[in-house]
Amino acid sequence: MRITYRFAWISTIATYLVIFTGGLVRVSGAGLGCPDWPKCFGRWIPPLSSSQLAPSIDPSQFNFTLAWIEYANRLCGLALGILIAITAVLVIINFARRVRILVPSIVAGLIVAFLGWQGGEVVTSELDPTIVSVHALLSLVLVSLMIFVTQQIHYVLYPDAEKGSIYPARIRYWLSLAWGLSLAQVLVGTQVRGTIEIISRIMPLADDRVWLSNTGSVLYLHTILGIMVIAAGVFVGIAVILRSTNPSSLMREGAWAILLLMFLDIVLGFGFLLTGVPALMEILHLWVSSFVVGLILMMRTAAMQKERIAS
Amino acid sequence: MSVQRNFPRGLFIAVTSALALMVIAAIVVEQAESSREALPVYGRVPDFAFAECRGGNFGLKDMLGNVCVVDFIFTRCQGPCPIMAEKFRDLYQSYRGIGDVKLVSMTVDPGYDTPQVLHQYASDQGVTDDRWVFLHAPMDDVVRLSEQGFMLPADELPMGHSTRFVLVDRRGQIRGYYCSDDDNCFGALKAQIRRLYHEAS
Repeated sequence: MRITYRFAWISTIATYLVIFTGGLVRVSGAGLGCPDWPKCFGRWIPPLSSSQLAPSIDPSQFNFTLAWIEYANRLCGLALGILIAITAVLVIINFARRVRILVPSIVAGLIVAFLGWQGGEVVTSELDPTIVSVHALLSLVLVSLMIFVTQQIHYVLYPDAEKGSIYPARIRYWLSLAWGLSLAQVLVGTQVRGTIEIISRIMPLADDRVWLSNTGSVLYLHTILGIMVIAAGVFVGIAVILRSTNPSSLMREGAWAILLLMFLDIVLGFGFLLTGVPALMEILHLWVSSFVVGLILMMRTAAMQKERIAS
Repeated sequence: MSVQRNFPRGLFIAVTSALALMVIAAIVVEQAESSREALPVYGRVPDFAFAECRGGNFGLKDMLGNVCVVDFIFTRCQGPCPIMAEKFRDLYQSYRGIGDVKLVSMTVDPGYDTPQVLHQYASDQGVTDDRWVFLHAPMDDVVRLSEQGFMLPADELPMGHSTRFVLVDRRGQIRGYYCSDDDNCFGALKAQIRRLYHEAS
């Protein structure tokens, strides 16, 4: 049972790492670093120099750095797939009767397999905005499932985890609201990115700040929702820190982390206004949002657990 | 411990590793940027002046100050040329309203492709302004410009013309060769046009 917990935990961290490498591929513009899939320039190990290319391939297409960034993401994704598959098998062996653990881990296994296949679609579609968005959203669903599985196994192993804690009344509903808002925010965020991509095709030579300023209503929506997410996040964070008695370390650290992330979001929001979309800020933005979604879900699950053992 | 109460250890580890990952991200992004910066200068376009199908001449002095994409085609060609023309039409549409990105098509079949034929061909492509020019010159001059100027093979013309697109910067320097039959090459070409467009002339 402990080994299952360990694998679930490692898979969750690994999912975040792959979200990170996937974001890196996007911001470094390495998405087509390997023009084919699953191989890279027809090789299982990407070429180290253009002299290794098959004669039919145009050497000007090959960029060592971009090819390896893209390929590293594929390898990390493959490793993640194996980790999640092992976790699912261990769950089937050890927790077959706990639907709450069994179902999400099997769904996670299916999603990670789908994501692997869909990664190929991303490449063959030449980074079609919709397909990229689906890829990013599904990886958030995946990380949410892995967090949920890990936490449920945790509560089986440590049934007393939330025994002595007291949280503010109705915090669960506030957390649900914050979670819904943050998910909606990510969805709108992918629309912002898709719109920027379309605009970049209409105005191919313009500066990225010009692209951003032409994004229009979808960007306003993203900003307004962002302010709402920050308000909700700060509210639940402060409520948990100030109004809880003997909170579990998960809730306490989660609350601090959410405050930290909300602060980062504010800084990033102003940063985008001032500078456009520099690559590093974009990846930080992607990463912070994936953490916000995961963290709020985690706190919501903890509050649910509290209610379950109380009833 | 009071420190642990105020700022939990798990969070500290998370923040530290997040910072470490941001450093990695910075290095990777920087590497990716510099790997793209290597846009070499392959050579200079020599001085030339060919007849443009709508009258007048077009040559090196008309290219200077513009980012140009050059290709060699002929209108009777049924093989790669329709694909090349399709890509050029895409560029022509994409850069509508941007006068200093020019497309230059040179015929490798000057016997058949008289300026009149080229003019008709231009109309068929939907060309209405001088952002896409069609050039005509005696065979020997075309071969010399292709082989010595653009360093592209020109054996047994017209069939043996190169299908590459040549990217030329504002100073008349050759900055890249791109295959015309592949969307990846085309994506790279567009990205490099954007870079050269913003490069100081």
